[in-house]
Amino acid sequence: MACTHDHSCEDHDCSSNWSLYKHIDLPKVTALNEANPGSVKSVFKAWEERLNSSGENLESNEGDPELLVYIPFTSDVKIKSVSVVGGADGASPSKMRVFINRDGIDFSDAQSMQPVQEWDLIENLQGVVEYQTRYSKFQSVASITLHFPESFGGDTTQIHYIGFKGEATQLKRDVVATIVYEITPNPSDHKTRAETGGGLSHVE
Amino acid sequence: MVLEATMICIDNSEWMRNGDYSPSRFQAQADAVNLICGAKTQSNPENTVGVLTMAGKGVRVLVTPTSDLGKILACMHGLEIGGEMNLAAGIQVAQLALKHRQNKKQQQRIIVFAGSPIKHDKKSLEMIGRKLKKNSVALDIVNFGEDDEGKMEKLEALLAAVNNNDTSHIVHVSAGPNALSDVLMSTPIFTGDGEGGSGFAAAAAAAAAAGGVSGFEFGVDPNLDPELALALRVSMEEERARQEAAAKKAAEEASKQEKGGEEQSSSQEATMTEHASGGTSEADNKKNDLSDDDNALLQQALAMSMDEPASSHDLQDMEMPDVAADDPELALALQLSVQDSTKDSSSQTDMSKLLADQSFVSSILASLPGVDPNDPSVKEVLASMQSQSESQQKQDEDKATEEEEK
Repeated sequence: MACTHDHSCEDHDCSSNWSLYKHIDLPKVTALNEANPGSVKSVFKAWEERLNSSGENLESNEGDPELLVYIPFTSDVKIKSVSVVGGADGASPSKMRVFINRDGIDFSDAQSMQPVQEWDLIENLQGVVEYQTRYSKFQSVASITLHFPESFGGDTTQIHYIGFKGEATQLKRDVVATIVYEITPNPSDHKTRAETGGGLSHVE
Repeated sequence: MVLEATMICIDNSEWMRNGDYSPSRFQAQADAVNLICGAKTQSNPENTVGVLTMAGKGVRVLVTPTSDLGKILACMHGLEIGGEMNLAAGIQVAQLALKHRQNKKQQQRIIVFAGSPIKHDKKSLEMIGRKLKKNSVALDIVNFGEDDEGKMEKLEALLAAVNNNDTSHIVHVSAGPNALSDVLMSTPIFTGDGEGGSGFAAAAAAAAAAGGVSGFEFGVDPNLDPELALALRVSMEEERARQEAAAKKAAEEASKQEKGGEEQSSSQEATMTEHASGGTSEADNKKNDLSDDDNALLQQALAMSMDEPASSHDLQDMEMPDVAADDPELALALQLSVQDSTKDSSSQTDMSKLLADQSFVSSILASLPGVDPNDPSVKEVLASMQSQSESQQKQDEDKATEEEEK
């Protein structure tokens, strides 16, 4: 399920659509099996720079083209489509499987779990191919994990750009941070209405 | 202060009965494990540590990663030695235990104690290493005990496969007078990847280097009471400095600069005792009572303060009489010093023969609060400082432990 742009990008401002990269929580982005730790952060940039491969790119370790990228967002987003620009000479990823709102996934989990959606990718060196999502499943995404199990025959997998198209809500899905669990109850924490002076006691 | 979950793999195979590491290989290993657990939990309170054994009937997880140091220490009791170590299974179980850690934000680390021969081949170890690297698990290997042919290469190959940006390390410890824990204390396993190390590790390492004593100076100080440890260490250093300076001074009384330096160090000592806990200052004053050299020096310092109103020493001058007034024991010490004879020259010649380790001493002084190593008078003191004789040091340590017991 891929579509290509049927217009030239100068007329139609595509870059504003691909602006979800601004909502990515970049310091918390991690990747497994990357050759240079931290290089994963370089693949999230503006649409115009997607072909700019002069900087760093994300590369997997020698001889092992599997990659796992964990991307948390600063607020919940709705993702319409994804675009991936890979490397040349078979170093592009050939498949992509995504998981939503789960952190701490490693390779054995990724291989055994059922992804929310998966795609067969093509070699997209110009960055014009986008892969649409089943939008109903991508309505409130706080974090997304991309698993690239194989490449097009290359020894490593290189990724120059990952882009998301969609909308950002201003909501934030937050874990409840402060819960106090009581091992033994402390009576002073549980003042009844009778003690605080007044009110009918409630009898079920 | 890296947030880390660590699994320690202990070798409890038959080879651990050997006594070439005192008291036995297994005991030395247990001590090292205790130290590591302490260091990890101290460097970051949210760090967790777990322990598993690799030999015996099979790999057994004694405690899953927890930040409760007591639980970890308790599980080290009653461990049985026997069987053969299964390194591959041990590492894989450790990886699994780390995978199910509660806080997914923690970095994963495995520490392996490899004391017995390794029966796996290099290829399978390399595969394990690659899998660890892929899942970004760091591995520290402690190679001790049996030295099989090929063991070192296998472990080096494993390390090379795992190592990602120098986060993994290997340490070879051969049998000898040094305890396993002491050797480990100066390695990156303890100090944590060159982040400067926790205060625990640095204090323990410095103490071990200073005294040449295995284990901690003054007992288990850094673990339980870092302030007391610091105060005791500081007062010991000041004591040493003053005694050596006094010895030098007896020979070179004409050198006024030196006296200025001594005065500063003695007044610093006085201010230190004020800042330190009450117990420590008591200990210090008692040391004054017992040591003639100190009193002679204090007397001379006081005399100096009367005679020479040097501008740079004014502040320090004021502090000395104040301290004497406040503390009756100190005043008593000073009175004693008046009656005592000055230092005999015989000890002084010993001192002059010994040379101080400049860099060590300056590093100690740099770590003291309120002492600026670039201060010229401190530099004078450093220049005149000489290392203490062994008997004096032991005497001081005995006194310190006596004070602690009280």
